Amino acid sequence: MDVQVEDRGAFSWVQVGLEGEEQFVSESGAMFRSSTNIDIEVTTRGGKGGGILSGIGRSLAGESFFLSTYRSLDGQPGDVGLAPTHQGEIRKIELDGSARWLCTGGSYLGSARSLELDTAFQGIGGMLSGESLSFMGVTGEGPLVVTAFGKLTEIEVDGNFTVDTGHVVAFEETLSYSVGKAAKSFIKSFLVGEGLVLKFSGRGRVYVQSHNPDEFGKSLGSMLPPRREG
Amino acid sequence: MNFDIDGNPDFGQLTVGLEPGEKFLAEAGSMAFMSDGTEIGSKIIGGLGKALIRKVVGKESLFVGEYSHPTGGNVTFSPDRPGMIVHRKMRGDTFVLTAGSFLAATPGITLNTKFVSFSAMFSGEGAFTIEASGGGDLFFNSYGAIIEKQVNGSLTVDTGHAVAWDPGLKYTVATIAGAKSTILSGEGLVLNFTGQGTVYIQTRTLGSVARWVGGMYR
Repeated sequence: MDVQVEDRGAFSWVQVGLEGEEQFVSESGAMFRSSTNIDIEVTTRGGKGGGILSGIGRSLAGESFFLSTYRSLDGQPGDVGLAPTHQGEIRKIELDGSARWLCTGGSYLGSARSLELDTAFQGIGGMLSGESLSFMGVTGEGPLVVTAFGKLTEIEVDGNFTVDTGHVVAFEETLSYSVGKAAKSFIKSFLVGEGLVLKFSGRGRVYVQSHNPDEFGKSLGSMLPPRREG
Repeated sequence: MNFDIDGNPDFGQLTVGLEPGEKFLAEAGSMAFMSDGTEIGSKIIGGLGKALIRKVVGKESLFVGEYSHPTGGNVTFSPDRPGMIVHRKMRGDTFVLTAGSFLAATPGITLNTKFVSFSAMFSGEGAFTIEASGGGDLFFNSYGAIIEKQVNGSLTVDTGHAVAWDPGLKYTVATIAGAKSTILSGEGLVLNFTGQGTVYIQTRTLGSVARWVGGMYR
């Protein structure tokens, strides 16, 4: 399997080369081109124990309900081009099986079929806050592809580090994390417009995005002309 | 205090290195990530009255975040929209920002709200500008890249594309070809600058993206 990130910058995309029995999974709708010998199967499956429930789980985590699985029909080399919704950088992470990775809503683009996908809920508090605090968990060995809105930065945490929830892309579960408020009190956090943050501690990698898709959506949304009825 | 702007012109983000005792003010909601132990307070720039006006008419938030770190640390800020961040060193001078383009400043800088014109208000474009004054470091942002244009004589800029300018420049608000064509073409009002000074112009406007998206669901 040959996974390559092409065209760095705002309009990055991923080319996945498949042959033999190799299979790659992506968020549905991410494929924009493929060679003619590629078969696409759309499912709700995400590794073992898939089905409707895992589809619902992914929806709650801010990901698409369906996944697409790609394989070569004739075993001959074929390729698939995948692109995310937002403008921004893409990164391939090679998982070595030592730790689960957690992706935030919308940042999972695809992964080798050998990797298992699950949903990690952050409880009712996360849902009430209006920010997506359910994660997609990725376990196993193989390539994982994540996307950012804007610039993608890798941070090696050794100790403690705080990230606004809207700027987290993915992180290694070797880090422990808790959901908290940015300032000391809720009132202060609210006044300065900082909702919830993720507080990481321990050692591990965190990928962060320069821009928050929800903030951009709110700014753009507030400028939209009113919808005409009928 | 040190500053690092990274990702321009597409995805500008600002990282500020804070020494113990130093404070930094940034637009509400702009913090992206920060060192553990960073303290966040809320502050009103230029008094409550001025801040209220900025909030109601200037599309800015009432409070800004006040960031400090007891032992020193880094905080990274990013605007709500992708684009460029520009650093301006202020030395007791003044500088004019359009509504929504303020990102951050050191505590020596004060913000005032200035009324532009009634016609600008009715056009849906910013009817107010923000005047920054004092000494320190000022950061502002755009949607798209920023072009720095030296005016020596006169220059016409679409109001939606004007980000900031030197206060020495005089300007009038006008329409390019009468009110009718302004409404029909979606071409907003223009600012006719005269004099000598720098104008910062953004290459895209979020308003035109919104108009385009709005047209998709009619």
